[in-house]
Amino acid sequence: MTLDEVFAISGNLAMVGWVILLFAPRRFKALGHVARILIPVALSAIYAAYILPFFAESGGGYGTLAQVRQLFTVDELLLAGWVHYLAFDLMIGGYLAERMDRIGINRFVQAPILISTLMFGPVGVLLAYGTEAVVRTGPRALRRV
Amino acid sequence: MRPADVPMPRPRPPLSHVLTGLSLSLFIVAAAAHAVDARVLGGTPVWAKPMKFAASFVVLFATIAWLENRLTSVWREGWMLRITMAIMGTAMVTEMGYILYQAAQAQPSHFNYSTPLHEFMYTVVMFGGALALVAGIGVYAFAAARDHGAELTVPMRWGVVWGFGLSFALTVVVAGYMGAISDNQVGTPPADPTNLPIFGWSLDIGDLRPAHFLSLHAMQALPIFAFAVERFSVRRPRLVVSLAAGAYAALTLALFAQALAGQPIF
Repeated sequence: MTLDEVFAISGNLAMVGWVILLFAPRRFKALGHVARILIPVALSAIYAAYILPFFAESGGGYGTLAQVRQLFTVDELLLAGWVHYLAFDLMIGGYLAERMDRIGINRFVQAPILISTLMFGPVGVLLAYGTEAVVRTGPRALRRV
Repeated sequence: MRPADVPMPRPRPPLSHVLTGLSLSLFIVAAAAHAVDARVLGGTPVWAKPMKFAASFVVLFATIAWLENRLTSVWREGWMLRITMAIMGTAMVTEMGYILYQAAQAQPSHFNYSTPLHEFMYTVVMFGGALALVAGIGVYAFAAARDHGAELTVPMRWGVVWGFGLSFALTVVVAGYMGAISDNQVGTPPADPTNLPIFGWSLDIGDLRPAHFLSLHAMQALPIFAFAVERFSVRRPRLVVSLAAGAYAALTLALFAQALAGQPIF
């Protein structure tokens, strides 16, 4: 399989997970497990398959920006890095969705936050936690329903 | 523990409250980008606009959340306010989404007719969204006037009705004019423009945004004034609050006229 094919398959897998998080009714728990566990695990396996054989010989590392740049000069590691994003963004998206479900945040409000997580991972984290912080700690009077 | 099985420990928070939190988070995201990005558009840093809009949405939704909390459940949970808030939330999310996207491109989001997409986004999403938000404020003014069981003292009820009502009416006039002329300034800015820090209002030529600012924030200013009237047990509270509303409207229209005459605020 070429690297481009693995890239395409990984992207499609992640998108299946995101579609489930965004649109599937939460009462279908099995679907939720696919998005939160099965797909991230599959992506993690793909990551492991590419990071472990190529890490050492790339001559890169985690210590400096230059070392990280060196890692990404190897196409296999570039792919691994991308799959790492896909896996973790999806896992975090699933976690944030679950937190937002728990405090009763509407799915329509969740959608832009989850899409931000899909596009720019940590931005979605900021939005989700910021929103949750206000919902949880707002003036007591405002929380009366 | 299987997280999906954990029962919901609290009732659904009001949408206005959730949107306050989302707006605050959007402000933080825009402020983070502002800290790094040195690009400038029309003399103002590119992320200043999303920051201003997000801050304004925080204040807007927090004010509505405060009001909703004082309405009776019949009104608060009635179809009218629920639909209104759903529409306002949609308008906020789409407007902020586009404003952030355009800031990232260092492109204007309002009055941008450069491509068919920009024109569509401005005339439909931005203009339509703004109209929906302003109309929504009007609906809340109506609710505050009609909900006789609401926990609002006499001055506060009139502060809310006048404040929200003026925010609706004055914004339609001022923002409607800006939409009609497709600009927020009157006159041609000099090559090296001087702008008020943070707000970005022109100090060289007429700028319609000070009047727009006052019109939008009548819904906070008049309830705050009403709070003082309530606190100090001012006599004839309804008259006092109504006079204050008249003065506020006059001030807003004076700033509007000053901008139309091409004069900067200071």
